[in-house]
Amino acid sequence: MKLSHHFIIFITIFAGFWVDELISQFNVREYIHLANNLPYLIETCIGFLIFCYWVYAMPEKLHSSAALMHGLIIDLCFGSAVGFHMLFFVSISYIIHVYVFRFRIFSYLQLIIFFGAASVFYLACKYLIFFPTNYSYLLLIFSFLINAGAWLPIYFGMRSFRRTFIK
Amino acid sequence: MARTTPTFTPVGKYALAILVSLSLLISDINYQTFSSIRGFVQAAGIYSELLIDSFTTKITKFNSIYEDKKELIKVNKDLQNALLKLQNKIFLEKKSQVLANDLINLYDETLDLSQGKEAPVFKIASFGLKNYLCCSSHSLYLKNPKKLKVAVNLPVTNGDTFIGQTSSLDLNLIKVILFSDSAHILPVKIKNFFCNARGAGRPLLITCKVYKSSEFLKIQNNDPVFTSGLGGIFPRNIPIGKVIKINNSIVNESEITITLDANPLESNYFGVLVN
Repeated sequence: MKLSHHFIIFITIFAGFWVDELISQFNVREYIHLANNLPYLIETCIGFLIFCYWVYAMPEKLHSSAALMHGLIIDLCFGSAVGFHMLFFVSISYIIHVYVFRFRIFSYLQLIIFFGAASVFYLACKYLIFFPTNYSYLLLIFSFLINAGAWLPIYFGMRSFRRTFIK
Repeated sequence: MARTTPTFTPVGKYALAILVSLSLLISDINYQTFSSIRGFVQAAGIYSELLIDSFTTKITKFNSIYEDKKELIKVNKDLQNALLKLQNKIFLEKKSQVLANDLINLYDETLDLSQGKEAPVFKIASFGLKNYLCCSSHSLYLKNPKKLKVAVNLPVTNGDTFIGQTSSLDLNLIKVILFSDSAHILPVKIKNFFCNARGAGRPLLITCKVYKSSEFLKIQNNDPVFTSGLGGIFPRNIPIGKVIKINNSIVNESEITITLDANPLESNYFGVLVN
């Protein structure tokens, strides 16, 4: 794969993480009185899902080294410690590689559940490692619903993007 | 029929990549190995945001030249900024005077303000709003256009009270760790009771975990909380918040929850108490 394609892929992942940052700055608790004392409720994983999409769509072109490099740059720009996104990108990349042909026969619902669960596992590990005081099951449940719901728009959006820019 | 589908997954490479990333993660969490590099990248990101911001501001200004209220808005903004600066300056002068009185014989070259120098008041460059709202890592960056060499662990004020302390200097941006950060510990005094208040990891909250004592039993909700001065960083007897909850559910141990007076989201200018 060309270097420019890697660059385009990275730009989309970076944009995903940037959108995640923007969304997380919207504090829903300020607007709902009953939610004032609740912990943080929702965290989107759009950047992570976009990375998953690229590996899912082009497994033969994105290997461990690409996952490692993308993870390193994301760690430096958005992460709390170097290595976290590298580890998760490599792990999810491996899982998708191993089961890539099975995923092809999955229904959309099964894909939604798998990628929703993967993003929640990523979130749970992130909170347990870096912010254990803010860890809550409510956050995981709401985030699962949001991220699972986000998979299909990301899937179709990125597919049309891929067909336009990476041929 | 094969149970697993054929793939071209090089397992060894993945195992190696996982090992490398795991070792980097452990070394960074335990020893902060890459904190300076991360600080550098984050500061570079903030600078690029500021550049984009100034560019858009200039375009907006260009458009507003033809608007009638342009001058009025500018005067209003200048006055607001001057007021905020003045507020910080007065606060710093007051606190510096207190410190100077306390330590007059110990410091000859302390306190820029007491020597009539300019008060180091900095404008905010970036606020880690995401982590502030969701997570336990609370920090902000201050602009430092004059490239002053600001030391770490200096008190930072919003004009009314303290909000945190300087933590590092990344590409001339001053990183400030807030009281509510779970890694920050502030020695406080409530009536005659002293404790170390750790950031709760939630906005405007810090907590003290203490063993019950006779002094502790006198503490009630809404009691004012002051800096104790014991850490050697903050001057003593500065009001920083009040007690909002006392949790006695643990045997022999209690948790005092304190809400902070200063909301860092409400200020654009912050002063650093230099000594």
